[in-house]
Amino acid sequence: MSRIDEITRHVVAEFAPDIRADELDADYDLLANGVVDSLGLLRLIGWLGERFDLPVEDFDLAPEQFRSVRAIDAFVESALVKGPA
Amino acid sequence: MINWTDEQRTLRAAAADLGAAVGKDHLERDPTGEFSRTGWTLVRESGLLGMPFGTEYGGLGADLLTTMYVLEGLGESCRDGGFPFSVTTHVVSTGIPLQRFGSAELKQRYLPGVCAGSAIGAHAISEPDAGSDMMAMRTTAVLDGDHYVLNGSKSFVSNGPIADTFMVYARTGTPGAPDAITTFLVERDSPGLHVGSPMSKMGLRTSPLSELFLDGVRVPATNAVGRPGAGFLVLDHVMKWEILLSFVVNLGEMEHRLRECVRHARSRKQFGQPIGSFQAVSTKLVDMRIGVETSRKWLYDTAEKLVARKNVTTDIAITKLVVSEANLASALAAVQVFGGYGYMTEYGVEKDVRNAVAGTIYSGTTEIQRQRIAAMMGLG
Ligand SMILES: Cc1cc2nc3c(=O)[nH]c(=O)nc-3n(C[C@H](O)[C@H](O)[C@H](O)COP(=O)(O)OP(=O)(O)OC[C@H]3O[C@@H](n4cnc5c(N)ncnc54)[C@H](O)[C@@H]3O)c2cc1C
Repeated sequence: MSRIDEITRHVVAEFAPDIRADELDADYDLLANGVVDSLGLLRLIGWLGERFDLPVEDFDLAPEQFRSVRAIDAFVESALVKGPA
Repeated sequence: MINWTDEQRTLRAAAADLGAAVGKDHLERDPTGEFSRTGWTLVRESGLLGMPFGTEYGGLGADLLTTMYVLEGLGESCRDGGFPFSVTTHVVSTGIPLQRFGSAELKQRYLPGVCAGSAIGAHAISEPDAGSDMMAMRTTAVLDGDHYVLNGSKSFVSNGPIADTFMVYARTGTPGAPDAITTFLVERDSPGLHVGSPMSKMGLRTSPLSELFLDGVRVPATNAVGRPGAGFLVLDHVMKWEILLSFVVNLGEMEHRLRECVRHARSRKQFGQPIGSFQAVSTKLVDMRIGVETSRKWLYDTAEKLVARKNVTTDIAITKLVVSEANLASALAAVQVFGGYGYMTEYGVEKDVRNAVAGTIYSGTTEIQRQRIAAMMGLG
């Protein structure tokens, strides 16, 4: 399973259980559409830290990085390659 | 169990001496809510305000656990509970977000003042209609050229009456969205910023608190701390530190209170026996001890986890809830153990109850911590 698929499945399971993973567009705005609220954001960041072994406490975090599945995937990619900004 | 080094013990002993000196006249200053200016001079000289910050800014570069251990010493010795609250508010409100999210320029400009204590810090989040639900805040920040214009009001700002700088959280996006809030460092003398009069309150009276009014305050865009829209995440980071630093002070207070209660229970005789020999009394002391030990574990275990870069969102909520409730229970038990003397102001025991109630409200109420834990469990 690709990373973007894994993120999609997680987001659907945790935040949008009423839809199927293949129904969530990778560019769908999770924040503006209320799928992920503020506490949900913390939960998501916690999961990303644990799943991809990222020291999230060291990053210059902004909600923007978690706006869509594609943005989350890009954040993980950059975090794994470059480390904390 | 953590094995503290001699150097850490020396730092803690110095903080304990400082606390004892500041707390000497606490009973006289509590009714009038007088902040200890003498105490502030002493704490500035001690270097304690700069403990967790880099030496390049005048800090001591101490780690989180050392900072907590030293503050626990301050809490243990300082009978003026409001003073350490002002100290930790200063450190966490301004220094902590600057250190993690501030630009190089902001750090250069403001962190030395935090470390030296020459510019007292405060943070303004709560509003008349947005307390627990901080995302509902109405204070707005609108970009106008290279400045943001801030309008609104803030309800409970600890250190407000004595602060030189304010971390103001304001709305820059769609109400309620997780990316709606931005954090700004605002100087006290900014035109349009008005600090209310000190508000009278139940406890922590020697830590002054006020409202804050922002009427078209122009703040350079470069004074945003963290990226635009990152205010909720900035506050989440601040709250982790606030809970660890401010409630470790309560741990020190509980340790002192327990010692005093045990001493009293062993020496006070009724019915020809020390009251501590009555199980109804000793059980209270045992529960106080359990409160101390549980609080210590949660505080330091969570801090170690944070230092190890682990996710502590749930742990921090449990820590806050456990320590604040243990502190309140311990303060109430102490009044009971001291009987009528505990109820009289001149013994300084009742004041702890009034102070401890605050801990169950600020930094997120007990109910909100439970709600957070539930949310982290995927329960809404
Ligand atoms: C001593 C002191 C110092 C403070 N210092 C500062 C400061 O420096 N800066 C700052 O910005 N603020 C500060 N505050 C404000 C503090 O953060 C708020 O008081 C707190 O967040 C609660 O908000 P509120 O008072 O509006 O109560 P409300 O949010 O109105 O809550 C009232 C009651 O309803 C409960 N409640 C609310 N929502 C829920 C829910 N979803 N589920 C269950 N129960 C709920 C609460 O737990 C509480 O019991 C301070 C407060 C105190 C007491």
